[in-house]
Order: sequence, then C-alpha cells, then structure tokens
Amino acid sequence: MRLAVSLLAVALVAVAAIPVAAQQGVTETEIVLGCSNSFSGPLAYTGEQATKFGVDLYFKVVNDAGGIHGRKVRTVYYDDGYKPQEAVANTRKLVEQDRIFAVIAPQGTPPVMATLGYLEENRVPLLFPFQGSPAIRGKKYVFSGMTLYDRQSRMMIDYLVTQRKLRTFGVLYQDDDYGKSFLGAFEKDLARHNLKLAAAESVKRGVTDVSAQIAKLRAAAPQAVFLVLTPGPGAQALKERQKIGWTDTVMVSSGPLTDEKYLALAGDASEGVEGLSLWPDPLTSDLPGMKAYRDAMQKYFGKNEPNRYSLSGYFAAMLFTEGARRAGKNLTRESLVAALEGIKGFETGILPPVTIGPDHETQRQGFWVRVEKGRFKALTDWLTSD
Amino acid sequence: MTAATLVHVVVSGLATGSIYALMALSLVIIYNATRTLNFAQGEMLMVSTFIGWAAHRAFELPLAVTLVVAVAAAGVMGWLVERAIIRRAIGATHWDVLIITLGLSLMLRAGAGLAWTHDDFPFPSFFDSRPIALGPVRLAPVSIGIIGASLALMAALYALFRWTRLGRAMRAVAQNQRAARLMGISVERVYSSSWVLAAMVGAVAGVLVAPVVFLSSKMGLVVINGFTAAVIGGFGSMPGAVLGGMLLGVIENLAPLYLPSGIRYSVPFLVLIAILLVRPAGLLGRVEQRKV
Amino acid sequence: MRARGLAVAALVTALAAWPWVAPRYFVFLASVILVNVIVALGLNLLSGYTNQLSFGHAGFFAIGAYTAAVLTLRAPATPVVVTLALAGALTAAVGLAFGVPCLRLGGLYLTMATLAFGFVITEAILNLDALTNGADGLRVPAARLGAVALSTDAGRYYLTAAVAAVMVTAAVNLVRTRTGRAFLAIRESEIAAQASGVPVAAYKTLAFGLSAFYTGVAGGLFAFVVGFLSPDAFDVFLSVDFVVMIIVGGLGSVPGSIIGATVVTLLHDGLAAFQNYRPLIFGAILVACMLFMPGGVTQALGRAARR
Repeated sequence: MRLAVSLLAVALVAVAAIPVAAQQGVTETEIVLGCSNSFSGPLAYTGEQATKFGVDLYFKVVNDAGGIHGRKVRTVYYDDGYKPQEAVANTRKLVEQDRIFAVIAPQGTPPVMATLGYLEENRVPLLFPFQGSPAIRGKKYVFSGMTLYDRQSRMMIDYLVTQRKLRTFGVLYQDDDYGKSFLGAFEKDLARHNLKLAAAESVKRGVTDVSAQIAKLRAAAPQAVFLVLTPGPGAQALKERQKIGWTDTVMVSSGPLTDEKYLALAGDASEGVEGLSLWPDPLTSDLPGMKAYRDAMQKYFGKNEPNRYSLSGYFAAMLFTEGARRAGKNLTRESLVAALEGIKGFETGILPPVTIGPDHETQRQGFWVRVEKGRFKALTDWLTSD
Repeated sequence: MTAATLVHVVVSGLATGSIYALMALSLVIIYNATRTLNFAQGEMLMVSTFIGWAAHRAFELPLAVTLVVAVAAAGVMGWLVERAIIRRAIGATHWDVLIITLGLSLMLRAGAGLAWTHDDFPFPSFFDSRPIALGPVRLAPVSIGIIGASLALMAALYALFRWTRLGRAMRAVAQNQRAARLMGISVERVYSSSWVLAAMVGAVAGVLVAPVVFLSSKMGLVVINGFTAAVIGGFGSMPGAVLGGMLLGVIENLAPLYLPSGIRYSVPFLVLIAILLVRPAGLLGRVEQRKV
Repeated sequence: MRARGLAVAALVTALAAWPWVAPRYFVFLASVILVNVIVALGLNLLSGYTNQLSFGHAGFFAIGAYTAAVLTLRAPATPVVVTLALAGALTAAVGLAFGVPCLRLGGLYLTMATLAFGFVITEAILNLDALTNGADGLRVPAARLGAVALSTDAGRYYLTAAVAAVMVTAAVNLVRTRTGRAFLAIRESEIAAQASGVPVAAYKTLAFGLSAFYTGVAGGLFAFVVGFLSPDAFDVFLSVDFVVMIIVGGLGSVPGSIIGATVVTLLHDGLAAFQNYRPLIFGAILVACMLFMPGGVTQALGRAARR
C-alpha cells in the first residue's frame, strides 16, 4: 500500500515537472526533430547514411555555428526495419513521447504512407521524406524530399522521345511501390506521345538472377530500357546485359538508381549506360555547396565516403534550417510551413535555386548523364518537368 | 524464346542452384549429426566471406588465399559457436536451439553491419566476365565456374563421407547416436566436426557467389533457399540436397521466362508444396518410421 | 481460490483503467501487445499443442487484416464484431483448406510448407491490387461499433482488450474440453493417441482451423490499431517473430503465450532506439534467454517455484 502511494506521488511529481512548451519540440535552447527509418533490413545502408551522415552532418555544422536563432537542433531516430507497422509505432513515440517538432527525412513509401494519416491528424510536419511517390503531393504539412516519380518519368520520356527521337522502350522494375509507381508513370507519359511500352519485366526485391527478365526484354527489342531498381539488382542487370552481348539498346537508370554505388558494382558493364541524375557528382562536383558538404563530411565523419544518400539528408537539413531561419524566433509548426512555402530562389550551391510553392514540392529537376570511364558525365543541363 | 536463350537461363539457374545446394548440404550435415536446424548458417557464410574480403583488402591477398582465409574463419566460427553456445544448451529442446541459432543469425547480421556497414561491395571473381560462345549459345564463365567448383566440392564431401574415418563416424552418429557412442566414437568430436565442416562449405559458397550477388550483409538470407532446397530434395539426404538445390535454382529462373509477374515469384514455393503433397518427405527423403 | 479470484479482478481493473492512467502511446502499445497475445494463443494451438510448427502465420494474419480492412471500406455499416468474426472465419477456412493436405507432412516438411504458404499469400495480396491496393498500401478506416467510430486509442484498446479476454478465456477452457485433451494427447505421442482411438487427422486439421481463426481475428484488430496495411508488413520475418513469442514464452501454455507476446513486443519497442544495434541486442537476448531458460519463461518460472 505504502509502496503504491509513494510510486503514485513520484509519478505525479514527474508529470508536473515536465515543462509545458509553447510549441512542442521547440524550447529556448533547442529544436527536436526525428524520424523512423531503416537501420536494419533491406534499406539499412541508405537509412543510416541519410540520417546519421546526412541530416546530422548538416546540423553539426549549424550547431557549431550557434544554431538557428540560438537554438541547437537535436535529432532522435528509431529503427523500423522498413516495416510499416513499426514506422507507425516509432513515429507515434517520437511525436507523443519524445515530443519532436517535426519529422525529417524518413524513408520508403510503405513506412511513410503508413504514418501519413497520423501525422496529418496531429498536424505534425513531415519534411523531405526520402521517397518519390506522388501520393504525398498536395498535403498541407508534407514537403517532398525528392523529385517525385511522375516528374522524373516525364523528364525522362520527354527527353528521350523529343530530343533523342527514340520510339520503343522497355522497363525492368522492382516489384514494389517504387517500381510500380514508375511503371504507371512511364505508361502515362508514353501515351502522351502516342507510344506504348514494348516490354515490362518485374524483379522481386532480393532476387539475385535477372537473366530471364533481361532475355525477355531483349526479345522485345526496345531502343531503351529503363531500370527502376536498387543498386544491387541494377548492377546485375547491366552485367547480365553484358553477358548476353545485348549492345543495341540504351540502359537508362531512374533517378534513385543513378548513383556511384551502382556504377561501382557494375564495373565495366556500366560503360555507356545513361540515366537521370538527381544530384551533382558527390565526389567531383565543384559547386560551392558540394564542396562545403565534402568538407563537412571530412571534418566530422572522415571515414565515411560522400554519397548521394547522405547528400539528400544533408540537403533536407539545409532546407529545414532555411525555413526555420525565415520563420524567426517564434517558431511554430504553422510558421515553419508558411516560411517553407515562401522560399523563392534559395541558393544552396548544390541544386538549382529552390522555389517551393503551394504544391510543397522542393525538387522538380534532374539532368541527363552518361557513364564514361566509370563516372557520370552530364549530357544536358537541368531538365524541368513542368 | 530461342533455344540459346533457354540454355543461358538454365545454366544461370544451375549456378544459383549450386549455391543453394551447397547451403542445403551444410544444413543437412549439421542436422544429420546433431539434429539441429542451424538458422545462422547463411549469416555465418556471409561473415566468413566478409572476413576473407577484409583480409584481401588489408593485405592485398590473391583470391585463392582470400578463399583460404574465409574458409579458415568459417571453421573457427563454426567450432566456436558449437562449443560455446550450442553445447551449453543442455536440457534444451530442439525448439530452444532453433531460437538460439535464430538469435545468433540476428547478431551476426547486425554485427556485420556495424563492422562493414550494410552497403553492397563488389567482390573479385575467379572467373572472367567475358562470355564463352558455344555456337549461338553464350555462357557466362562465372556460371560454369560456380557449377564446376560446387560439383568438385560435392565430390570431395562424398569422398569424405565414404572413405574417411571422420566421415564414417559422422554417418554412424547420424544413424544412431547411442550405438555410435557404444562403438567408441566420440560423439562430441563429431558434433564439432560437423559444425566446422558445414561452416567451411558455406564459406566456399560465399566466395563463389559474392561476385555475382555482391558482398553485403543481406547475403545470409540464402539460408531460406537452402532450407527450401533441402526440404524439396528430402531433408537429411545429401543427394537430395543437391537435387533440391539445382531444381530450385532452375525453377526460379524459368518461372519469369514463361510466367507473368503476378505468379512467377510464388512458383518455387508452389512447386515445393506440390512436391510435398505427392512425396511427403521430399523427392529423395524417406518418411521416418518411428517404432513404438 | 480466493487469491486467484482477487488476482483476476485486479488484472481486469488494471486493464480497464489503463487508458485513464497511461499516455496515449502506451495505450497504443498495449493494443499491439494484446493483438500479439491473440496470435501467440493461436500459434500455440497449432505448434504447442499439436506439434505442427508454422512459419507461415504472417499469411493468416494478413488474410484477417485485409479482410477486415476491405469489409470496413466496402461495407462501412458492418458492426466491428461481425467484421472481426468474418475475418476470423475466412482465415479459418483457408487454414482448414491448407491443413488437410498438410496432414501427411511431419516436422520440418510441414514447417517448410507453412513458410511457402505464407509467402504465396503475401504475393497474392500484392497482386490482387484491385481489392487490396497492392504495393501502394491500404488505409484502414475506423471500426464502427454501432453509431460510434472507434477513432481513439482508448476505443481501439477496449475493443482489442475485450476480444483478447474472450480469446484467452476460450483458450483456457479449451484445455478442459475433449478437444483440448485430444490436442494434449497428440502432443505427447501421436501414435499413442491414434492407438487410443483419437482421430488424430481430424484434430490436427481442427487445430489448423482454430489457429487460423485466432490469427485472423488478431489480424483484423491489427488493421484497426495500426490503420495502414501493406504487403511489406507480412513477410517471413513476422512469422518468425510469432514463433519466437511462443517459444520464449513457453510452448503449449496459455500463460506462455501471454508472457511471450508481451516480452517480445516490449523488446521490439524498447530496442527501436538502439538503431543498428537493435538486432544485435535482440539476438543476444534470445540466445541468453534460451540458454538460461530452456523451455521458455513459464517453464523457468515453474522450476523456480518448485524449488
């Protein structure tokens, strides 16, 4: 009995001691952000890079310089292993127990979509998720973190059909939301040019042999084949193509696949391969923002090689900082949303000047690349998708 | 679908199937000797391949030496796991040991991620990447190489079990543990040996397949294919493991060639169920008759 | 006897009072635990009592979840109890259909067949996208209890707790029935049971159906508690998780199911903060658990009590 009473007393005191902040996640000295992401499971590498070596990297620079209006940024991450139900639980914990101000840079369409309803209901901003499903477009508290897949598709098809005069296309796509989203978008965009896909083959995530799919695609003889895969299977597709000696087609990687990892895995099978690049070359680009990114990585995480995943997290943190800065000392979720919507022509030194409007899309561009001697070489300037 | 394409796809499937067969063999070797299902077999394969790769990078070792390092690391790991953990599980049912090996597999995978990250890495191959042309058919040397190396290893295992003392001891323990002990066979030694042997077979499979699927912490998931293959072939039977593995690899590759996306990934599992319906102990297995 | 009655009363009061004393997140977590308890009970019926180890229960779970979700979407006026019953019934039907051909299979062969089944189900859900929304995932509307929509954590918790209470009571009473005794006899020795006149095949199939029913109902509750379904949620690792729950808790026992489900769910939740260390710690706990508590927690507690 006495134990119960004392426990109750302690609980009451503890509850009373929790400061009631004017805005959850914002105090005089700090802003708390967080996300549920993959630190185990199929996308563990990208998850870790985007958060700990991306978002946190930028905030280290910001915090060392004094923070945003005197507030340092602190991040909290939980692992969901790419399971939507765990993403829901983690996100609820972040909002209700850790009392974060906003969710930043979560990954993957199923985990993000699973939490969307809850975040909308509770008016928590969902900032710059690392996924491109158009389903997140047009939501009040959501800002995209990647050029959405339908825009990517439009840029790719428009470029190949109008500039390169190609007519027949095939797709090798991952058998999940990422791949199927692109598939649908390609079909729609080809229809605008009165064209149809010649062949579409699916690859299950985790499958290691794509010989049958490549053989079937070859039989349809497309002039270009879109690859909507992750780096491992993407590289395998290139190697398989090389094995069967299929030279009279152009392999084109989707935005998320166009990265150095996939090239490293494919080795010499990547020569001549093209794609839509969403970022400048993380290792060689001499844009001012890219240099700053590499310097920061060298300073804080010297052993970690710069890559596009950490770059996207870094960029997300950069956008947040700009929004929070503009919102001023009185930082609330509403003022952040308004501030982000007001961003026009923001120079990042990494991507073209960012203008975010009421559609809450932060990125709308990509540029064409071709692989020469193991690195991506730009063939065009930034393409637009409007 | 031209015949040349079919041959290429089947050969590719046989290569994948050889790896499944090796994995299935490791599982069966441990099971026959110790009646344990080793969930961690795939992760042990993965970790030993990573260790080989780390040594290769650090000391610029030639690939053959890398293989030896991986196999040695696997042997040590197998011995350690058996002595330090499995043997401690006295009084445990086989369900308990299942959870132990499961826990171990989680630890190994997370450990590999912490040591080397969960990234994918290219891995050097013994075999050339340029295809060999046999008439209209183009074969990948890496596929042929994997099939050949696997068959050689299987032949070596056969010789081990048939003609060496250790092999006969292992077979004796598999048949009847009590009788084997009465005959003077050290059952504990057989336990250790089977874990070491199985781990080493896994390491060879890992080094063979890593150039194709890329070295990553995800490689360990092949244990599921290994179990599937072993069951298809008849769990406990070594020829069954080989047959099951090859069959599984080829089916996995033929399904996308002829079937639409909706059904092609279910086919290997549907085939498993179909085989079990007709032959409840797998293709070459025998239904255990228990005397009362 | 009095002590047992008081304990039950205290437990019921605690469960009923939980949403009043606990923060929202822990009410949600309690619902998740209760859902897993029901699955563990169901899985134990199959694996703990009749020795048919299943690595495919995520498949049954998915069928229940999607059935409940699709019913609520297409026929919103259906009372939630009916929805859950239908989810359970459909899953049970699938379970029975699957159980019959599996009768000839023993040991690992049966287990592999269930693993194959689980995979085939998830593929089917992914591909029947006109019904299930496939890879895009399905948002589940709130369950309806008459005119009331269960759109709060407390509401969903009470629903889950009520259903769990019923399922637990049924499971406890099952052991006292003829069916329960038959299950126990089969577990001890299938051959002896057969020789004693127990129609083993019928009971093993029944176990499949009952187990599937429980898991299907739990799946339906899961759909409401989490609010979003996608095929990624129901992979083989979820099935493995369920097996871990019953082995850690104690095979073939109702308290074992409850303890196992609670411990494993709490571990998953508590370890999420450890990010990439999470599986390492969880795996280590599993190894230690089974080394030091062979037979599971309930067996260990039993041994401790006897000392």
